[in-house]
Amino acid sequence: MSVSLEINLGGLHMKNPVTVASGTFGYGQEYDAYFDVAQLGAVTTKSLTLKPRAGNKPPRLVETPAGMLNAIGLQNVGLEAYLEHKLPFLRQKDVPIIANIYGHGPDEYAELARLLEEKGGADAIEANLSCPNVHDAKSSRGTVLVAQDPELVCAYTKTIRSATSLPLYVKLTPNVATIVEPALAAQEGGADAVSLINTLIGMAIDPETRRPRLANIVGGLSGPCIRPVAVKMVWDAARALDIPVIGMGGICSTEDAVQFFLAGASAVALGSMSFRQPDAAIRVVNGLADYLEGHELSGIAALVGGMAQ
Amino acid sequence: MPSVVDCPIVLRQEVAEGHYRISVQAPGIARVAKPGQFAMLQVSGGYAPFLRRPMSIERIFSDGVSFLFKVEGEGTRLLAEMDTGHNLSVHGPLGNGFTIDTVCDRHILVAGGIGVAPLPALAERVKRDCGKAPDVIIAARTERLLLCEDDFRRMGCAIHITTDDGSAGEKALATGMLERLAPDARTCVYACGPNPMLRAVSQMMLDAGVMCLVSLEAQMACGDGACLGCVIESKSEIEGEKMLRVCKDGPVFDASLIDWAAHDLRDDQ
Ligand SMILES: Cc1cc2nc3c(=O)[nH]c(=O)nc-3n(C[C@H](O)[C@H](O)[C@H](O)COP(=O)(O)OP(=O)(O)OC[C@H]3O[C@@H](n4cnc5c(N)ncnc54)[C@H](O)[C@@H]3O)c2cc1C
Ligand SMILES: Cc1cc2nc3c(=O)[nH]c(=O)nc-3n(C[C@H](O)[C@H](O)[C@H](O)COP(=O)(O)O)c2cc1C
Ligand code: FES
Repeated sequence: MSVSLEINLGGLHMKNPVTVASGTFGYGQEYDAYFDVAQLGAVTTKSLTLKPRAGNKPPRLVETPAGMLNAIGLQNVGLEAYLEHKLPFLRQKDVPIIANIYGHGPDEYAELARLLEEKGGADAIEANLSCPNVHDAKSSRGTVLVAQDPELVCAYTKTIRSATSLPLYVKLTPNVATIVEPALAAQEGGADAVSLINTLIGMAIDPETRRPRLANIVGGLSGPCIRPVAVKMVWDAARALDIPVIGMGGICSTEDAVQFFLAGASAVALGSMSFRQPDAAIRVVNGLADYLEGHELSGIAALVGGMAQ
Repeated sequence: MPSVVDCPIVLRQEVAEGHYRISVQAPGIARVAKPGQFAMLQVSGGYAPFLRRPMSIERIFSDGVSFLFKVEGEGTRLLAEMDTGHNLSVHGPLGNGFTIDTVCDRHILVAGGIGVAPLPALAERVKRDCGKAPDVIIAARTERLLLCEDDFRRMGCAIHITTDDGSAGEKALATGMLERLAPDARTCVYACGPNPMLRAVSQMMLDAGVMCLVSLEAQMACGDGACLGCVIESKSEIEGEKMLRVCKDGPVFDASLIDWAAHDLRDDQ
């Protein structure tokens, strides 16, 4: 039986449903020594901003049980250097690029999306409305992550939507009472998919020095420890939405990825696991083909939302 | 090019209390490794600990490499428990390694505590490339914790020992000994050890106009330059970047590049 891993993710054709999570895979070239990144369904870039950002002061990482906290603070080369120095490598590979973007206010996101489309710097846009390490959106609820306020999510998404015809994915935060509201708001704003989940906000303190382990004090928790939370949020969102969900959060293996499909994800992204095992994402691509074959399924669609009850 | 390989452990020694050496068979890594590079070692089959542990390459043989480490916490404890025959997943070699300036007529290696780890490979390479084994300052808290002395001696290095308690060599700090060796403009100094030592050595050498390379540590996740977790601040922008990645732009840096005032001082000794 021949299996096909191909999917269409809100208008983006992918040869398989596996990408990498923003910020865990650099701009692709960092992993070139380990495998051909063209084998991925798509490469998702580190969050890009209009101007370069130096990010937070170190220390930026601390390991936690079955995971890690990070407070990178969106260090990135900026749009111009991305187009000039990072894009050429990705463009010589036959792989779609999901450019993850971060802006101050909706107009900056829109500008980034417009420029990326105009310069051929992306095949899809993922708007990071949920970075836990920079707080700068004001709302009636005080200072929040954009993704914590459904009204802001809808407004931002609309503005970005009007600036680009590329498939638009909106990345949401798990740091909310219910994921359904911001997910529906993204859909209403015109998103083609939502990405779930960004990191869970956390912190760690050194009992000897009594100081926080991260210079930024708080950071984002990722890795296998957050997987059950992510699966649940994907399940909640997928049932409420008409648009697809890109599932991520602690995926380490094929079996983990299958959980996300069964919960309703249409595609998955590997994040922190690439740090431990640089070719982890490709192992999942290959593992999924075997899984489908072993279970006599013709494609991923047969799995999506297929949790038995 | 780095790779990720399961390497059988062929030797395991407790070299001092809480300090171990393991050698792995890894011909592919040995072929491309340079002194000063490191590897990320997988310490657990499960996900606790989740991340690999960075370890300097101590020596490079024809068919493998060795690591020398101190048990600090859970990861290194698990590593110390691994016996010969066990397959250790090694991700490397990573980082830039030491650049040896063969024009210098004198090379001085400065080791503080477990910071000695990357220096045996460097001493061998200096000897090969410059025709003469380097001077080595080994600084330790106490005699029992002096590491690699015999290895350096076998290579023909001139060894200068200091201990904090005077139980071996001179009762002095590495910097005191370095001052006495009177490095000049034609000397190159290579240092690895605790941050306060590196900072003092760097300052001394900068003031004296002596070329000085330091090997630094930072918390790491990927080791490949992708996560941006391991950065330190540089004094000036290099190709537009103020943040330097210890794993990719380092771990070896020209001492004059480091913004020591901004560097978060960790007393890990
Ligand atoms: C490039 C490089 C080379 C190194 N080479 C050696 C070596 O040759 N021999 C040796 O004994 N040690 C070396 N270290 C330090 C070594 O990686 C740590 O001692 C080790 O990771 C501690 O892990 P643990 O689980 O035992 O300790 P824990 O304290 O439980 O570690 C918790 C977390 O902190 C990190 N961590 C703790 N101490 C350090 C440190 N000093 N530097 C960086 N991360 C740290 C760990 O990786 C882990 O993520 C090196 C570090 C770097 C960055
Ligand atoms: C070091 C690090 C950096 C990250 N940087 C970004 C980023 O720039 N933009 C973004 O949208 N998400 C970022 N993330 C979040 C991941 O893309 C992902 O949503 C999260 O880590 C959960 O997946 P995981 O558990 O598989 O890592 C980052 C995560 C880590 C660990
Ligand atoms: S450890 Fe990831 S960039 Fe250095």
